[in-house]
Amino acid sequence: MMFEIEIFTKKGFKNLRGEHILSDICGLSIENITRVEYSPLYVVDGDMSFSETEMIASEVLIDKITESYVIRQCDTECCSRVISESFDVKETDRLNLDFSVIEVWYKKGVTDTVSESVVKAVKDLGLIKEIKVKNGHKYYLYGEILQVTLNNVATRLLANTLIQEYKIH
Amino acid sequence: MKKIRVLILRTAGTNCDYETQSAFELCGAIAERVHINTLIERKDKIFEYDILAFPGGFSYGDDIASGKILANEVKNKLGDEVKKYALSGRPIIGICNGFQVLVKIGLLPDPELFKQISTLSYNDSDKFECRWVYLKTEKKIKNESSCIWTKNLPDIISLPVAHGEGKFIPMNEKFLDNLNKNNQIVFRYSLKDGSEPEYPLAPNGSTEQIAGICNKKGNIFGLMPHPERYVFALQHPAREGFNSKYGWGKVIFQNAVNFVS
Repeated sequence: MMFEIEIFTKKGFKNLRGEHILSDICGLSIENITRVEYSPLYVVDGDMSFSETEMIASEVLIDKITESYVIRQCDTECCSRVISESFDVKETDRLNLDFSVIEVWYKKGVTDTVSESVVKAVKDLGLIKEIKVKNGHKYYLYGEILQVTLNNVATRLLANTLIQEYKIH
Repeated sequence: MKKIRVLILRTAGTNCDYETQSAFELCGAIAERVHINTLIERKDKIFEYDILAFPGGFSYGDDIASGKILANEVKNKLGDEVKKYALSGRPIIGICNGFQVLVKIGLLPDPELFKQISTLSYNDSDKFECRWVYLKTEKKIKNESSCIWTKNLPDIISLPVAHGEGKFIPMNEKFLDNLNKNNQIVFRYSLKDGSEPEYPLAPNGSTEQIAGICNKKGNIFGLMPHPERYVFALQHPAREGFNSKYGWGKVIFQNAVNFVS
């Protein structure tokens, strides 16, 4: 089974990386983006049950004081079906807002050291299974933003296109 | 006289282990840097030591979050031994990354609970902050706290900080009140005159300017600044210290060695 785990900053805590990116965007004189939120992403692929994936999310990937998570089940095309979310995350919270999403992932063949550390941490938990982990970055950009602006932000600020690829949706 | 033995736990990414070793040796102890895998192979080895130190650095590249992977490793593979060691009353110190590990294991602030109830999160600046800062130990706390590590220090000392994730956040207000009530907040960032600082002397936006805490019993101490980088007056930018030779960081290590002696 393949699951995607998205980490959210809990309500009441600052999304510092998002604020930092917004300040960099303002520094480039790019307008119309009013807020940025950042979420780390992890795709766990292997012989893992849902409850084991939930254990990885809660014990390894989040800071229990400031963060929460959403787990989505993935097929070969996309990860969309939400199968678990911690109590203070509601994906529907964003439904009435205008926003775009940029995801940044390493290209195939690039060493992903964070993922290697996650695999080690999963083994330390006592889950001795063959798994693959991918680590990515998800940015929510709020406002009415043109496609050309999103490409501009992605290539100038968010992704090192030599080793990373990005998706806009 | 019995020689005090100190275990300095290191792993991939630890980089303050030599300085911590030197600091303890300067105070008359025998300090050994031991890799976590060695300790996992022989778990009882931990009880051969009188003091346990979690040094600073970037364990496992600070991947996921600073100290998180080492904390999980210690908790899952050495949890019982480390908890027993802590509850035995032997001194434990966590410096910078080591403090992050102690908090994420749950040894601080309450080793009996052994559960994470506070965190050290990203600095408000979202940047790595590296400079000398002032730390205040309130007189009342100094007199009433049972912290064995901070005896004989002046009200204000300076120590260097170097971290990206040092913002102390308690789980809730009640827990913060308990820390205050039990005199567990040992160091707060301050100005030279003891008043409340602003950035950059408040380097991370920590709740109530908290820079270091101990457990109720006072044997476990964690702090973000680096006392091992100020054991000689010569290490201070203005060459300040005591006895015209030593830095105030040395007093912290000496206190633990004297306590065990």
